[in-house]
Amino acid sequence: MGRVAVINGIRTPFCKIGTDLKDLAAQELGRIVTRELLERTVIDPSTIDEVIFGNVSQPADAANISRVIALLSGIPQTVPAYTVHRNCASGIESVVQAAIKIQAGQGRCYVAGGTESMSNIPFYLTKELKEILTNLSKAKTFLQKWQALSQIRMTHLKPHSGLEMGLTDPVCGLIMGSTAEVLAREFDITRQQQDDFALESHQRAIRGRTALREEIVPVIAPPRYKSAMEHDNGPREGQTKEALQKLKPYFDRHSGTVTVGNSSQVTDGAAVLLVASEQRAKELNLKPLGFIRAYVFVGVEPHRMGIGPAHAIPQVLKKAGMHLRDIQAIEINEAFAAQVLACLKALASDGFTKQFGYEGYTGTIDPAILNVNGGAIALGHPVGTTGTRLILTMLKHMQRHNLNTGLVSLCVGGGQGAAVILER
Amino acid sequence: MSINYYEENNIGFIEFNQDDSKVNILTVQALQELTLIVARLHKAAALKAVVFISKKSDVFIAGADIKEIEGINDPSNGEAKSKAGQEIFNAIEDLKPPTIAVIDGVALGGGCELALACQYRLATFNPKARIGLPEVTLGILPGFGGTYRLPRLIGLPEGLKMILGGKPVDTPKALRLGLVDRLVTSNGLERHLNEFIDDVCNKKIPVDKYSRRTIKGLAVFQEKSFIGQRIVFQRATQDVLKTTKGFYPAPLKALHVIRQNFYMNDRAKGLALESQAFGQLATTAISKNLIRVFYLAEKYRKLGVPDTEGLVSKAMTKCGIVGAGVMGGGIAQLFSYMDIWVRLKDIHYDALALGLKSAAKLYRDAVKRRRLKAHEAIVKMGKIASTIDYTGFRNTDIVIEAVVEDMDIKRKVFRELNSCVNEQTILATNTSALSVSELAKITKDPSKVIGLHFFNPVHKMPLVEVITTPQTSKETLASVLALVKRLGKTPILVKDSCGFLVNRILLGYLNEAGRIWEEGADIATIDKIMTDFGMPMGPLTLCDEIGLDIGIKVLRILADGLGERFKPVAIFEKAYTEGFLGKKSGKGFYLLDRRSLVKTKQSNLLNTTECLQRMVYPMINEAARCLEERIVDDPGAVDVGMIFGTGFPAFRGGLLRYADSLGISHIVAGLRQLQDKWRAARFAPANYLIKLHNEQRGFYS
Repeated sequence: MGRVAVINGIRTPFCKIGTDLKDLAAQELGRIVTRELLERTVIDPSTIDEVIFGNVSQPADAANISRVIALLSGIPQTVPAYTVHRNCASGIESVVQAAIKIQAGQGRCYVAGGTESMSNIPFYLTKELKEILTNLSKAKTFLQKWQALSQIRMTHLKPHSGLEMGLTDPVCGLIMGSTAEVLAREFDITRQQQDDFALESHQRAIRGRTALREEIVPVIAPPRYKSAMEHDNGPREGQTKEALQKLKPYFDRHSGTVTVGNSSQVTDGAAVLLVASEQRAKELNLKPLGFIRAYVFVGVEPHRMGIGPAHAIPQVLKKAGMHLRDIQAIEINEAFAAQVLACLKALASDGFTKQFGYEGYTGTIDPAILNVNGGAIALGHPVGTTGTRLILTMLKHMQRHNLNTGLVSLCVGGGQGAAVILER
Repeated sequence: MSINYYEENNIGFIEFNQDDSKVNILTVQALQELTLIVARLHKAAALKAVVFISKKSDVFIAGADIKEIEGINDPSNGEAKSKAGQEIFNAIEDLKPPTIAVIDGVALGGGCELALACQYRLATFNPKARIGLPEVTLGILPGFGGTYRLPRLIGLPEGLKMILGGKPVDTPKALRLGLVDRLVTSNGLERHLNEFIDDVCNKKIPVDKYSRRTIKGLAVFQEKSFIGQRIVFQRATQDVLKTTKGFYPAPLKALHVIRQNFYMNDRAKGLALESQAFGQLATTAISKNLIRVFYLAEKYRKLGVPDTEGLVSKAMTKCGIVGAGVMGGGIAQLFSYMDIWVRLKDIHYDALALGLKSAAKLYRDAVKRRRLKAHEAIVKMGKIASTIDYTGFRNTDIVIEAVVEDMDIKRKVFRELNSCVNEQTILATNTSALSVSELAKITKDPSKVIGLHFFNPVHKMPLVEVITTPQTSKETLASVLALVKRLGKTPILVKDSCGFLVNRILLGYLNEAGRIWEEGADIATIDKIMTDFGMPMGPLTLCDEIGLDIGIKVLRILADGLGERFKPVAIFEKAYTEGFLGKKSGKGFYLLDRRSLVKTKQSNLLNTTECLQRMVYPMINEAARCLEERIVDDPGAVDVGMIFGTGFPAFRGGLLRYADSLGISHIVAGLRQLQDKWRAARFAPANYLIKLHNEQRGFYS
């Protein structure tokens, strides 16, 4: 059976919540990258077998957002589309779905991506207010309307943030940052280590700006169409250690170590890949960026969700029949510095290796090959998009430096881990 | 035979099906047939209902025969024609059984009036169906009872709007207005009709057609109270004067008629007023001109290439546009509006941002005016993708170059395009004056090169000059003409020559306006002379709109290619160097302190007639040269070009129609007089004009 090729990919710049991309809905972000992918590959849109997008917040006005994106970007109506949701790994899930379908002979050419507009996640009404409003709409006479309205109390008017609800695990009850605190304590990750890691992320992202431009389509955003956003606006050029150290812990005010400075940023952005069987790529005369060698998803405890990569990485290596030393570059999504550092510590420890039977598939990861162009702490983490972005960034990095193997991994809210091995 | 009558289940069907035609038209002959049928019905035994229906698809009745209206030379003849129609429709209205018009297509003019004469109207959701009284656009008014019946049926405010504006409505709007009684699907029309007839017979729909609508609130005041009606009439008068600027008598006349017959309870009297006014209007020169323009517009809108039967024009799904300036951005918006994918290229993002911004603004306005729904605007706007390189140009069907008016830059673009489009891609340039052949030379396949000159603002101006070179292939031309039609524009075919047609005629006029200004006349006075003539804006206002930089650039190109007469006047050059570019630089003719540039010579009082001649005659003269040089091969093309490209007053029939109405001899004499007085060669009559003068002909005769 032939390999699964990633032909090309593109993403929007990643822009912090409430900034340059805030007036673009998730479907519009997805439309921009998908259209640009079609333009750059000059592929006949009817050769596409299906469109798969990952998206976490799933806007109410774009049910099955993948289909909306497909139609908005000029993919024929006859091409089906579906949306996937695996929380933070949604953007990997979509690509893996394409790979599985290709391997199963279901199709030969897919558009797979991720999109997220965290700026547009709505506030929710309280349940009480919703019921009152429902009664109001049913009320016929003035008196009934008045009765319905008179039920409203100040407390009913407090909106719930959809963003906050989305980032809170409904089973263990912890918000994501608190799960990072759990790992920081467990693996004894200090504030200092986390801040150092965060600073490095910013510095690498600034240095990598030119490299990252290769994967970005500049976006001229409505409503003012003032100028083109050409790069990510998360990385801070003048980021100092002192500034990071000054920040108060956000999730555990008193004894915590996780701050907004050493956590990923809340961000808008979309990314997309053209995925095809090796054979189909040849037929269409398309030169692949690289191939998907193996992928895996694992489950972990929800309150320790950040440890996901420490399980996913050895498992995907095992699946691919490879060892950590065979991997030339690694991307681990920086949901939180504490969580990445915890994973690195776990992977380097014999105890962890033995406990889960990962002998031969763990080891120390060289910081020099990890997240070379910075990670989500600097670039931002549009949850549904990040998975696709990691694969895209890795493949472009491998191409630039002529590397043969790369691995991307991320932790997943709800207690999962995902990892993919890429090769050229 | 164009009307069939048959009965089924005690229902009489009057079925319109004109021979050898795609549409039904109320010709004299058709009206006579209808008279006989209706007369028979009056005598026949009681029927359950009488149904008026069309056998043509998408057409109920398209209207009266315009040819017949054009032929009316005497007011009394016109009045008689109107009366004849009114009588038949009265006979229909007076039929005993309920009468029902089934509208599953266009019902315009006489067709609409026939439906109004019926007691009930059943329409379908057919998207092509339109109902309305567009008579005023031809300089006449509804002559078959429309002015009497429509305001009574749908109320005074809406009735006036439809008659005075002449704009037809779609069927959902017609239902809201109360113009039709029920809306059904075309599918299963027969069943729907039977149900409707049953409901009519069971009196489920009120019998009196003029009291069927229920009105509430403000409408009651407007329609029922005398004061409300007065206000409505007053406002309508103001609106009419504002839109017609007093140049078009028909809407005013219609208003005048309705103002009287709305209060008459005697149908005969009210209709007599209408037919009288119809007779008067039908013989006016303005009406004749408007009818001619209508025919011209129809002809050019459907323009095709001769001998291209069976030739399949290229499907246009994607268009590349180079240059995101005013024109490029406007073209991008137009294409996306018509659901063609656009790849918009410029050299830097700021330029693209401006292009996208102007397109987005047009979409926002369209949503605000309810011409588009919000989601449609998003979908259409999303069809424009921008780029600073040529990625995505490989699979374009057509590329339109709209960069600055500079031959070297245009050459560079065409050279670049050579390597980034496919062999089938048509390469078009939106140049307004430069040589298309010159650009064709440097392409791989000159047969695919064509000029496509849109006018600013692109979404508004209906004209496109299509410029062919000797190498342009018929396939290319046919495809481009089909595209222009799809874009809803009117093409004229122009030979590749400096300035093509419209700019060549227009710029001499602007230059002359500048010269009159230079001599010390007041800007507003100069503009007023032309707006009084009927131009939508004065020449100097126009300069402010398009920008003096563009004006000067094109004048220079024209002066190089065609001679001294186009040399920009010194005052233009001076204003240009000092940055008085008009709207775009924030200061122009209407914002500048004129005295610093020219001294007003109070002694030289403006001779309005002479000024008008100085501005208009050279346009006629230049048009004559264009005909002589075969830039276009028909005076009609000049008139279409001037009306749709520059807003030349349609009521004058177009530039050359206007020339003919003045008389060629008169113009030649006028030009010679100007030539002598100003010692200026630019006024020397063109050979073609002298030839017409010698042959005692006009442009059209």
